[in-house]
This record gives sequence, C-alpha cells and structure tokens, in this order.
Amino acid sequence: MLKVENLRTYFKQAEGIVKAVNGVSFDLHKGDVLGIVGETGSGKSVTVKSIMGLIFPPGYIAGGKILFHTDEFSSNGEREYVDLAKLPQEDFTRIRGRHIGMIFQDPMTSLDPMYTIGDQIIETLVWHKNINEEEAFERAVQMLEKVGIPKPRERMGSYPFELSGGQLQRVVIAIAMSCDPEVLIADEPTTALDVTVQAQILELIKDLIAQYDGSVIFITHDLAVIAEISSSIMVMYGGMQVEMADTQTIFEDPLHPYTIALLNSIPRLDESRELNPIPGQPPTMLNPPEVCPFLPRCNRASEKCEKEMPRLIEVEPGHWVRCFPK
Amino acid sequence: MKLLRVENLKKYFPVRQGFFIQKIVAYIKAVDDISFEVERGKTFGLVGESGCGKTTVGKTIIRLLNPTSGRIFLENDNLASLKPSELKPYRTKLQIVFQDPMSSLNPRMTVGQMLSEPLLFHGIVKTREEANKVIAELLKAVGLKPHHIDRYPHQFSGGQRQRLAIARAISVKPHLIVLDEPTSALDVSVQAQIINLLQRLQEELNAGYIFISHDLPLVRYMSDEVAVMYLGKIVEKAPRDELFDHPLHPYTKALLAAAPVPDPRKKRDRKDLIGGQVPSPINRPSGCFFHPRCKFRMPICEREYPPTFTLDSSHEVACYLYR
Repeated sequence: MLKVENLRTYFKQAEGIVKAVNGVSFDLHKGDVLGIVGETGSGKSVTVKSIMGLIFPPGYIAGGKILFHTDEFSSNGEREYVDLAKLPQEDFTRIRGRHIGMIFQDPMTSLDPMYTIGDQIIETLVWHKNINEEEAFERAVQMLEKVGIPKPRERMGSYPFELSGGQLQRVVIAIAMSCDPEVLIADEPTTALDVTVQAQILELIKDLIAQYDGSVIFITHDLAVIAEISSSIMVMYGGMQVEMADTQTIFEDPLHPYTIALLNSIPRLDESRELNPIPGQPPTMLNPPEVCPFLPRCNRASEKCEKEMPRLIEVEPGHWVRCFPK
Repeated sequence: MKLLRVENLKKYFPVRQGFFIQKIVAYIKAVDDISFEVERGKTFGLVGESGCGKTTVGKTIIRLLNPTSGRIFLENDNLASLKPSELKPYRTKLQIVFQDPMSSLNPRMTVGQMLSEPLLFHGIVKTREEANKVIAELLKAVGLKPHHIDRYPHQFSGGQRQRLAIARAISVKPHLIVLDEPTSALDVSVQAQIINLLQRLQEELNAGYIFISHDLPLVRYMSDEVAVMYLGKIVEKAPRDELFDHPLHPYTKALLAAAPVPDPRKKRDRKDLIGGQVPSPINRPSGCFFHPRCKFRMPICEREYPPTFTLDSSHEVACYLYR
C-alpha cells in the first residue's frame, strides 16, 4: 500500500542542515501494524509528517520516494503508485483524511476549541465523502458510538473543553477513521493520557484495527505500548532506521546494539533486574558525520565503524539491521 | 527514629467565584488526610494518575505549600507548625527535584551561580573560591565535567539539566529528597542513567527519598515501600514486592493491569481493566471515591469512605473487601 524508499527530510538552519530523517525505507502492506520506536529527535514524527505532506520550510524532502498505491488520481480507476514526495500541496487535501488518516499526540490541540465535536466530524465527512450534512450527522453519531463515547447524539453538540482527555482522543480517532482511510497514522496517541485511560484507548485501537482492513503506522517511544499493538517494529535512531523486524523478533532476538541496549534500559513490572543505561547523550542531527549515529555510545564499535556507514542489510527474511556483522 | 513522619496531612485549595466579592464556593481536597513514614536510606514511592494529589504531597512536605492541617515531623520537629522564617535551617535537610529541569533551573544563571547560591546562603562555604571547589566535586558526582561551571542551562541536554537539578539538591547534603517525576521528561536511555545516579547518591548520602511517579515499573524499581493515591487519599500502602505481587485494592489491581508490559507474548489481563476516568477532585463521589468505577462495589461503598484495614502488619488497604 505504501512504499517508502530512502526518504530524506532535512531542515535548513543558519548553522547548517539538520538531517532529521536520513534514508528511511519500508514497505507497508495491507493489514500491517507497523510500530516506529525511537527517542526524541530520532526522526519518527518527521518520517510520518513527510508521508502526510506536512513538512514546511525550512524543512524539505531532500530525496527518496514515498509511493502510495491509490486510485485517487488515476484516469481509468485502476490503482497506481503516486509519489507523495513530489505531490503538490493542493493535491494533498485529496489524500490527507481521505486515504491517510492521522491521530496526533495531544487531542486538545488537534481539535478546534471553537467548534463542537459534531461539526468537526461532519466537516471531514462532507469534504471527503460528498454527502449532505444530514447523512454526515448520522454517520458521525455512528462513529462516536463505535469509539465508545456514551450518549453520542448528545455529545455531538459538546465543545472540546467539555470532554476529558481520553474522550477527546476517542473523538480524534473517530475523525481519523470516519472516511475509512487505507492507512492510519497514530503519532504517540496515548502519551498524554493516564495509565488506566491509556489502556482503554489501546484496547479501542486494537479492536478497531481488528475490524479494519487498512494498515496502521503507530509511533511511540514506549516499548511496552508497541509490544502490545504492532505486528512489526522499526527502531529509529539519529534519523535512521537501525533495525526492522516482526515484533517477536525485536523483543526476543534483537541484533542492533541500540535495540539491545534500549531493551536493557527499561524497568519492568514483571521482573526485577539491574538497569543498564546507555552511556552518553542522543546525537544532534545538525551536520551529522557520515558514520553510524550510534557509534559514540556503542559498546561494540570497531575501527571499521569510524570509517564507513553500515548499510541496512537483511540478515534473515524480514529482519533488517543497519550494523556490521560481528 | 524515623526520618520523616507525616500524620493526617491535609491540603485544601479553595475554589473562588465572583468578580468583586470573591466567595469560596468549594474546596479541592488535593491531599486529604494521609499519613506515612520515610526512613533514612530508604525510598518511599507515591504512585497515582494525574490529579490524585501526589505532587501536592511533595510540595506540602517541603513547605512550598502550607498544609491545611496535619503534622510533618522531620526527625523530631514539626514542620507544619513553623513560620516560613523559621524554616531556613530545615531547607538544608529537605530538598526537591522537579519534573522539568528546563523550568526549575534559572535560564539566566550559569551552573556556577546556581550551585553556589545554596552553598553560600546556608553558610556551607564562606567564599566563592571554596564554593567553586565544592561545585567541581558536585559536578563530578552527578557525572558532569568541572569545566561545565560557566555554562548556561540551554547549553545542556535534558538529561544533563536534570543532573544539574540533582546536583543543586544534593549540594546541601539533605536528609530527605522529594523526587517529583524526575525522569518523565527524559528519554528512556537517559532515564536509566538518572535512576542509577539517584540510587548511587542515595547510598552515599544515606538520604531518604520520596519518589513520586505515575510510571509503575519505575516505582517498583526504585522504592522500598509504595503507596497508591486516588483523589487525595492513600488507598493502599505496602512494602514494594508485597504491593506489586499481591495488590489488594481494586484500583491498584486496575493500575497494574493497565500498565503495558514490554513483551509481545504477554497479553494484558482484560478482566482487571476499568472504564471511565478519574472524577474531578472538586466533586468527588460519595462514599469510596472509587466506587463508580469499581466492579466489587457493595452498598456500603456508596455511603461511607472505608477506613484503613491493616493486613499482615504492614499491608494497609482502604477497602471494605478486606474488612
């Protein structure tokens, strides 16, 4: 459905170029739930913003392709690959919301405080689905019911401030799902919520994914959340994907030193053990040298690492690692 | 002798309404009659969701907020009854590390200025030269370099800034440090560094910690004893392993069930999950505050707040199920 090839998104700054995303490639198939994990500044949000066409100056897509399989622009109704990296802004409104839905981290800032939640769902439906307002109203009520909002018909007239954070996130999910997008992107959808509410939203997203025949990209910094929801995982560090495999493999047989170190640095509820922190600080993305971004913090670094950048290699079918073999 | 003994601590915030004549229409009972003890060298963990009052507990103990009632004994002195002017000698014994180092460090002060201030103010050192020597050691103790002394907070990363906040807290050799979500603004790889640093410093200073967090795995890792708060009250308190392995209160069970586990093979137990959200602290439910979300509620839960029942001498739980 979506094929990202060697995507590079840079930001021009007075001090130089910030290489926020530096060569990311992945394929998203129908039914996949791809989890992207990484720390602050690892480029995970910029990756999906590039896909959504939400990169504005001084940011720009410096290279690579984002091929999206869609019939939106074809003349004969057949699906074809459209390169979103080259799509003009005015055409993006036909993709965003209609074919790719997005859920952001903070529901309070992604909803307009001046409009009722009903208006905001109806607006999306009328714009993308060419239906009249009455039909859209009924659809919106159905959507709210589906995401577990009690008394949906009454809630249609509520303003965002009248609902709690968890309820608002449900509304945002309803808006994102209202046009049945083929790809749903969730950028840290549960980070701003409390644990018990986070669990409710995760259960909701899992239930919706089970009924839904599109694919999902789920971004988070929380390894525990990703273990629960995704079918495959891409680990990002310093604007690059350092490892990519199915969820089981990442947790049980990680190969990249960063993935291993990350798994050893989180405390767990179910077992007590020593925490092994990763020494040093996350890298700055300003004018990064052409070597592995994890090199200064790596416990396995060799001379070879200081000379050249490792390539992303497929060590076994479906398991990709950007590191020199041991 | 216990390092800190908190007895029946209450902190209410008035809710005012009106334009010219403001009337107090209600109280937010942020902290409502809680008691606990902390020993030297031990960590007391305080968990709860946002709005449960855990931060207010920390701020009230160090007297950044004045308690509405209750007693706070530090060693033998009741801090709750002291005037602000009488608190100065206790400030060296009590310190706090806040969540966000960017807002707890003054952006216009260099590291040297911000760290020498407590040292000079409390008379720990007499001159700037002496202070600089102590600061160099402090910086080393928290994993920074002595040459960082002339830098400003913006020149550091988030983890390094939190190290500075910790250096400032330990500079007066406190007996008790309140750690209010010290790592929740940090990335996981850096979080582990700070946690290990805090544990090492605890051994060196033999300090008592109050560790406030919403992150259950982290609280389990750090604490010796843990209390769970819900809407201003402690609903359950027990030694660490006892609480996590044998939770009793339905809310504690729900919290533990809700915490995701970083293991794709382990699926969460849906039966303990709860619906709804934390009610507003202005308008708390009658009886047990948790009863609208509780699966085990009985008629009495809607009428009366349960007293605290003590099981096995150290496991306290406020729930009628254990009467």
